[in-house]
Amino acid sequence: MVTVAHYLVLAAVLFSVSVAGIFINRRNVIVLLMCIELMLLAVNFNFIAFSRLLGDTLGQVFVFFILTVAAAEAAIGLAILVVLFRNTRSINVDEMDTLKG
Amino acid sequence: MIDYYPAAAEIFLATAICVVLLVDVFLRDEQRMITYWLSLAALLGTAACSALFFVDEPVTTFFGSFVADAASGVLKLVAYVAVALVFVYSRDYLARRNLFKGEFFILGLFGLLGIMVMVSAHSLLTIYLGLELLSLSLYALVAFNRESATAAESAMKFFVLGAIASGTLLYGISLLYGVTGTLEIGTLAERLSGPDGMGIPALVGLAFIVVGVAFKFGAVPFHMWVPDVYQGAPTPVTLYIGSAPKIAAFALAWRVLVEGLGDAHASWQGMLIVLSILSLAIGNIVAIAQTNLKRMLAYSTISHVGFILMGFIAGSDDALSAALFYTVSYVIMAAAAFGMILLLSREGFEAEQLEDFKGLNARSPWFAFVMLMIMFSMAGVPPFIGFYAKLLVLGSLIDAGLVWFAVLGVLMAVVGAFYYLRVVWYMYFDDPLDEAPIAAPGGMRVVLSVNGLGLLVLGVFPGYLLELCMRVL
Amino acid sequence: MIPTILFYAFAAILLIAAFGVITARNPVHAALFLVLAFVQSAALWLLMEAEFLAIVLVLVYVGAVMVLLLFVVMMLDINVETMREGFTRYVWIGGLVALLVAVEIGHVVWFRSEGMQFLSTPEPFPADYSNTRELGSVLYTEHVYAFEIAAVILLLAIVAAITLTMRRRPGLKAQNVAKQVAVRREDRVRLVKVEPTKD
Repeated sequence: MVTVAHYLVLAAVLFSVSVAGIFINRRNVIVLLMCIELMLLAVNFNFIAFSRLLGDTLGQVFVFFILTVAAAEAAIGLAILVVLFRNTRSINVDEMDTLKG
Repeated sequence: MIDYYPAAAEIFLATAICVVLLVDVFLRDEQRMITYWLSLAALLGTAACSALFFVDEPVTTFFGSFVADAASGVLKLVAYVAVALVFVYSRDYLARRNLFKGEFFILGLFGLLGIMVMVSAHSLLTIYLGLELLSLSLYALVAFNRESATAAESAMKFFVLGAIASGTLLYGISLLYGVTGTLEIGTLAERLSGPDGMGIPALVGLAFIVVGVAFKFGAVPFHMWVPDVYQGAPTPVTLYIGSAPKIAAFALAWRVLVEGLGDAHASWQGMLIVLSILSLAIGNIVAIAQTNLKRMLAYSTISHVGFILMGFIAGSDDALSAALFYTVSYVIMAAAAFGMILLLSREGFEAEQLEDFKGLNARSPWFAFVMLMIMFSMAGVPPFIGFYAKLLVLGSLIDAGLVWFAVLGVLMAVVGAFYYLRVVWYMYFDDPLDEAPIAAPGGMRVVLSVNGLGLLVLGVFPGYLLELCMRVL
Repeated sequence: MIPTILFYAFAAILLIAAFGVITARNPVHAALFLVLAFVQSAALWLLMEAEFLAIVLVLVYVGAVMVLLLFVVMMLDINVETMREGFTRYVWIGGLVALLVAVEIGHVVWFRSEGMQFLSTPEPFPADYSNTRELGSVLYTEHVYAFEIAAVILLLAIVAAITLTMRRRPGLKAQNVAKQVAVRREDRVRLVKVEPTKD
C-alpha cells in the first residue's frame, strides 16, 4: 500500500536532490533557478500529502499560493539574469568576482 | 462579515501604490517630482490610517490570518518613518545619476506593504506571502541600476540565496503544518503545547524555520549575501535594505518563534546562541579589515543582528522589549549612516570609501559632528541611543542567567568600537582628500541633521521609547 | 495494487528527471528534464486526489513558466562547454549533503513520527467529491486576504520585470501607431496643379 509516508519520503529525496543540484551547479545560474523550482516542488509534495492525511484543504491552498509566488519569482529571477547577461555577457558565477571580502 | 478596519493601512497603501503607478505612467521625465511627492503623501496617508485605527488590544480579522495589536502598530509606524527617510535622502542622488524613475518609489512602497503584511501576520501563510512581497521588491531594487554590472551581480546572488532560504523556510512550515494541522499562529501555539506537541518532526521543521529566519536577518553563517548586496547595490537601495527590512526580520522572528513556537524556546534558544555568537565575532572582526564604508556597515549590521538575537535568546517579555528597542534604534542609526554617504556623494563620485571621510571636519564641521554621533551611537558610547540598546539586551541576558554570554557581548562591542572610532579619527585628524563643497539640497540636510540629533536626544531621554517598547510587547 | 505500481513508476521517473535536471550538460536539456519532472508530479498529485493543483501545475508551470525559462535560455546563448568545467569538483560534497538530508528527513518521517499516522493510507473521496469546488469555496472566503496579497505579488512581478528589462534603444526604428492613426489626408497628400506644357 502507498501511505502518506511514501509521499513524504519522496519529497525528502526530491528536496535533497535539489540541494545537491545547488552544490553541483554553483557556476550556472540558470540551472540554479531550476534547482530552486525543484525545491519548491518538493515542498508542494509535502503540503499535498499532509493535506490528504489531515483531510483538510489548507495545505492545498498553500500550494496554490506557492505556485503563484514561484511564478512571480521566476519572472523576476529571469529578469535579473537578463540584466546580468547584458552587462557581463556571462552567467558564470565563478567569473563574478568583483565583490570580495 | 469581515472586519476591514484593522487592515485600513494595508488597504490604503495597496490602493495608493496603484494610483502612484498609474500617475507615473503618464508623467514625462521632468515631471518625476510628482511621483516623489505622491509617494510621500501615500506614506503620510498610510501613517494616518495606522494612527486612526491604532488598537491596544489585539484584534484578529480575515478569518484569523490578520492581527492588529499595539506592537504591530508601533513597528509599522517605524517602518513608515524609515521608508520616508529613504525617499528623502535618495532623491538628489538618484536625480544626479539619471536614476530618478518612478519605479524606485513604487518598488519601495511594495516592499513597505510586504513589511506591513509580515508585521500583522497571524498565519504562516500570510507571513510567507509578506516575506515574498518584501524580498521580490528588494531583488528588483538591487538590480534597479541596469547599467551596473556589480549591481546585477549582487542582485543575482541575493536572489539565488534568498530563494533557497524561502524554500528552506517553506519546508519547515510544511512539516509544522503536517504535525499540527494548522497554519494560524495562535492555534499552532496551542497544539504544540499539548502533551505530545513538540515531537521530532516538529523539531526538524523548527530547525528549517530557524535557518530561514537567520537568513532574513543576515546572521552568520547565513550572511553571505549581506556584504555583497550592501556594497553592490546603489547606495539608496542599500539604505533601504539596511533600515526597514530589519523591522520585518524582527516581526518574522517574533511572530513565528515567540508567538507560534514559544513553547519550544529551549529548542531554538541553543540554535540562536550559536548564530548570535558567530554573528558578533565574524561581523565585528571582519569589519575591521574593510576599506569600503558600505561593506564595513554591512559587517556592522551582522554584528548588530547578533545583539538583537540576544533579546530572543533571553526570552522574557522584558528581553523582547529590549530586542524591539534595539531594532528600532538600529533602524534609525542605519538610516542616518547611509544618509551620510548619500550626502557626500555627488555627480560621478560615490563617497563610499572610508578615505572619502578624511578631513570632513575641515569641510563641514556640522556634518562631521553628525557622523560622529552616528558612529558613537553604533559603537555603543553613552549617552547615545545605541548605548541604551546594548545595555538593555545585555541586561536581559544577565537576568536570564547567561552572564558568560553577556561578557562575550561586551568584549565584542569593544572590538567593534575600533572601526567606528577609526571613521571619527579620519574625520577629525586627517587632511581632506578633496575640497569639493557638499552638494546636497537644503531639505535633505535638515532631515539628516534631525535624524542624527535624534540619536542623541533619544539617548539622553530613552524613557519614552523604552516605555513604549515595554507596553506594546 | 495498480495505484502502488503507478506510484512507483511515476516516482521513479520523477527522480530520474530530477537527476537529469541537476546533471545535464546543456541548460536546454535541464529545462526539458524539469518539464518531465513537473508532468510526473502532476500525475502523482492526481493519485493523491489533488486534481485542481495537478492541472494548474501542468497549465501554469509547464505551459507558462517553463516556456519563459526556455525562451531566456535560448536568448542568452550560453556557452555550454565552459559551463561544465569544475563540475566534478562539487559532485562529492553535493552528493554527501543530499544523502545526509534525505536520510535524516526520511528517518524522521518513517520511524520517529509516533502518533502522527504518517504510515496510513487516507480513505479515497466519494465519487461526487469535487476538489476544485472545495478549494474555490475557501479561497475567496477564508483565504481572501492571502489571495489579495498574491494579487499584489503578481502586480509587483509585472512592474519589476518591466523595470529591469525594458529599454529604449536610441537608434531603434519603430512605428508610432498613434501618429499613424491620427494622420489626416491633408498631412500627406498635396494637390499640385501641374501646368500643362505645350511643346
